[in-house]
Amino acid sequence: MPFLSLLCRSLLVFLSLALPLSAAELPAPAGPPLLTVTGQITRTNDGDSARFDRAMLEAMTQTSFTTRTIWTDGEQRFTGVALHDLLAALGATGSTIRATAINDYAVDIPREDWETGAPIIAHSNNGRPMSLRDKGPLWIIYPYDSDRAYQSEQVYARSIWQLDRINVME
Amino acid sequence: MQQAPPDRPFSRGWTVLQTGLALLLWGALVVWLGWLILREIDDYSTANSDNLQWSLSQADVEFLQFRLALEKLETSRGGLDTLRERFDIFYSRMDRMSSGRLFRSLPHTDRFTAPRQQIQSFLDETVPLIDGSDTALIAARPQLIARADAVEKHVRAFSLVALGAFAEVSDKRRDSISRLMIYMATGLMALFLGLTLLAFTLFRLFRLARKRADEVQAAGARMQTIVETSPNAIIVTDETGTIHQFNAAAERIFGYRREEACGRVARDFLIPQEDRDALDHGVFAFAEERRRPLPEERHFETVLEARGGRRFPAELSVDRAEAEHPLYVAYIRDITKWKEAEAQLTVARDRALAGERTKSEFLAVMSHEMRTPLNGLLGTMQLMRDHSLTERQTDLLDRMQSSGRLLLDLVNDVLDLAKFEAGKMQATSEPFSLPRLLEGVVQTAQPLADTYHNDLRWRWIGPPGEGVIGDARRLRQVLLNLIGNALKFTRNGTVEIEAEYLDPDRSEIELRVIDSGIGIAEADLPRIFKDFETLDSSYARETGGTGLGLGIAKRFTRLMGGEIGAESEPGEGSLFWIRLPLAPAPDFSAPAAQAPQQSTGPARALDVLVVEDNEINRFILREMLGAAGHRVTLAENGRVGVDRAAIERFDVILMDISMPVMDGRTATRHIRQGGGTSAETPIIALTAHAFPEEWAQFHEDGMTACLTKPVDRALLMQAIADALAGTETVSNPVAPGPGEDALIDETLLAQLLADLPKSAVDALLARFLDEMERDIALLAQSEPDAPGLAPLAHRCAGSSGTFGAEAMRVALLRIEAAHKSGNHPDRSQLHGLSDLWRRSRAALMARLSLPAG
Repeated sequence: MPFLSLLCRSLLVFLSLALPLSAAELPAPAGPPLLTVTGQITRTNDGDSARFDRAMLEAMTQTSFTTRTIWTDGEQRFTGVALHDLLAALGATGSTIRATAINDYAVDIPREDWETGAPIIAHSNNGRPMSLRDKGPLWIIYPYDSDRAYQSEQVYARSIWQLDRINVME
Repeated sequence: MQQAPPDRPFSRGWTVLQTGLALLLWGALVVWLGWLILREIDDYSTANSDNLQWSLSQADVEFLQFRLALEKLETSRGGLDTLRERFDIFYSRMDRMSSGRLFRSLPHTDRFTAPRQQIQSFLDETVPLIDGSDTALIAARPQLIARADAVEKHVRAFSLVALGAFAEVSDKRRDSISRLMIYMATGLMALFLGLTLLAFTLFRLFRLARKRADEVQAAGARMQTIVETSPNAIIVTDETGTIHQFNAAAERIFGYRREEACGRVARDFLIPQEDRDALDHGVFAFAEERRRPLPEERHFETVLEARGGRRFPAELSVDRAEAEHPLYVAYIRDITKWKEAEAQLTVARDRALAGERTKSEFLAVMSHEMRTPLNGLLGTMQLMRDHSLTERQTDLLDRMQSSGRLLLDLVNDVLDLAKFEAGKMQATSEPFSLPRLLEGVVQTAQPLADTYHNDLRWRWIGPPGEGVIGDARRLRQVLLNLIGNALKFTRNGTVEIEAEYLDPDRSEIELRVIDSGIGIAEADLPRIFKDFETLDSSYARETGGTGLGLGIAKRFTRLMGGEIGAESEPGEGSLFWIRLPLAPAPDFSAPAAQAPQQSTGPARALDVLVVEDNEINRFILREMLGAAGHRVTLAENGRVGVDRAAIERFDVILMDISMPVMDGRTATRHIRQGGGTSAETPIIALTAHAFPEEWAQFHEDGMTACLTKPVDRALLMQAIADALAGTETVSNPVAPGPGEDALIDETLLAQLLADLPKSAVDALLARFLDEMERDIALLAQSEPDAPGLAPLAHRCAGSSGTFGAEAMRVALLRIEAAHKSGNHPDRSQLHGLSDLWRRSRAALMARLSLPAG
């Protein structure tokens, strides 16, 4: 039931929104930055961009689910920050983001995708951090098993691994 | 009318079932195919790989980027980091290529796995260097370049093989889908065809149904027309009698309009009130009992009631149509006119019959009335012969008498015919002696035979017969007619009568009258038996004749149940034959031939009372009786006769039947019951009526004998003699025993007649007469002391007792008793028996209405 699950997810997102975010200035990353967000965001910590290291990401609200992927064998448990949470925390206002990988693969993700709260920026697979050789360190993962709608080539194309940059566009 | 194809419900149902099953099967097939396709579509809706071509080309690109980073290691700053990053990216790419669904979908052939393994071993060897110190990495650069160059072609090969494999997989999948599509299309086509077929079948069924409906409608219209054009009222009701149909004829006959009649109960207004209450036993009982009328209940006539209470006779034909709701259908015809016509016809027929009867009666009366003056003429002529006449006068008298007799024959024939046509003639059935009859006929016709110089005789052919049962009188008349004809048409020849039994049982006899006369032409034979037919011949003119004789003979023969016919050869003679069923009379033997007692009147003079209204007849009778020496007293009607008989004692009374004032029968009863001096006197009836039943009535009235007018002198004398023989004893002391002993005990005789059938009585009588004739003669001549006298007398007494000959029985018993006591009876007693028997016999015969002679 896509609609029901959508409803549930919306509810979840709403609840998470209710949590008070720290309105303070985004802290500067202490470790090597894994992700740089630019574009239409209101909170930054490095000029116009917001940089995140692993600790910062792990400090944010964590979302976990178990799913299979077409690139892996067997069920995998992914943990990370919901894309929605991250963008909300940054006060992103754009309708689309452009996610770019270390190998410069880039893909556009529309707002309706992250507003569902489904896709996460996973930093752990089965409880362990993901290395660069193992599609890490960040990987946008959708809960493919929860909805057949996520089993499309478009969603697969948006499941970008070795993610390191996000540009929030108008 | 087109012949509808015969219904075959079973095969039709079977076809429908088959079609349904086939469609169901097709439907299932299509659903299954659809399911397959949906699944396929479903599979398509979820991609199981991302862009393969991209991934493969990216592998190449990322390997080259790694190779470039290796080249640029020394020239660029941060080169090591870049190298490591590029290596990791390539590693990640290859790792991704060797895991997951994507990889498993690729064929694991040598062509594919060999380059894969080369790449993997390169990666495995390089990882320690990359993960090692910068120095070591830099130092290993030339070695890495060499390795990278070596593995480059494998990376290329891997990409190409994978592409090819994917292309194959894709092709297969496309093929399978297209096959599925073809299956689907085929299934759909089949379904379409099936539906088309079904639609066609339904269309045909529809057309058939519509045709049937049209036919039913046409039949209904036809039936309606038939019902409406029927001249008979047709009423259809249901079981309760409620009218459903009421045709135009019914409207006309009953005077109710269809709308008025329909819905009402027929019984309540079409059947007369009184019949409604009695319906349980009426002609509509079947309707009350709500069943089908029995075959004999389906057609009947009754009275029905129309509007305004008009009742009319109706003829109905009703039956019940059995169905879920049974119907009664009634055809009703107003037969008022028919009934009227029937009544008119009946009246007309009755009138016609009455007219016919009147005509016959008129003929009979006329004949009778004509005979009376004729009788006078003939009698007068006979009387004239008692006077001395000249030869010339005698000759004239002969001619007159000849013409008179011819006229009398004619009148007699017409009378016979009239009686026959009036249906008053019936053949009697009594025993008589055939030889005696034939003998008598020959004797009667002898004078005529002598006239024409013909030899007349009769004989048996084959075994002779004796007693028979039949109508002697009619047979005699027929034979006399045939013989008369034969004699008239024969000159100086022979006329022979042959009698022959046709069968061993002697139940049918043939009598032939054969003459040697002029014969009859064959062409004339068929018409000789018709009335008023005379053949034109000189003989016929000479002899005269009414032309009725053979017609009457034919009627009489038929009346007796026989046939008559003729054969002839002109110039050779004719043969007339009659065949009669004459049953033999059992144990009938001819009584001793009695010598004819013609003209032998009684020796003594008698006192005779003649009661006759006709003056001429009175005159003739007086003359005849006077000539015979009798004393005659005349009375002109019954009343006068009764008065005279009361005061005067007569030996014989001659009584006419039809008279004014008082008729003969009444007068006779008065005389018998009056107790006058002539109460016991024999009374001889004189009548033109000669019906046997009338004879019986005359005897009941008390008459002794009967004579037919015109009166023949000889017959009259004979009758008087016979009558006297039967009654003289009453006042004659000669009779043995007390005078009150009646000759015949009526009670006993009546008992016998009631107890036995007539034929048996006749046979018994014949035997009785025979025995008595012989035994009495024997007794009369016996000596008084002769042995065996008593037993003979006893036997005769017994026989006499049986027939009620009471006087005879008493006389015989007296003789027997005398003989037994030793006192022999007087000789006169024995001689008297003969006389007593003669009288008893006459009385008995008279009582039994048999000809005394």
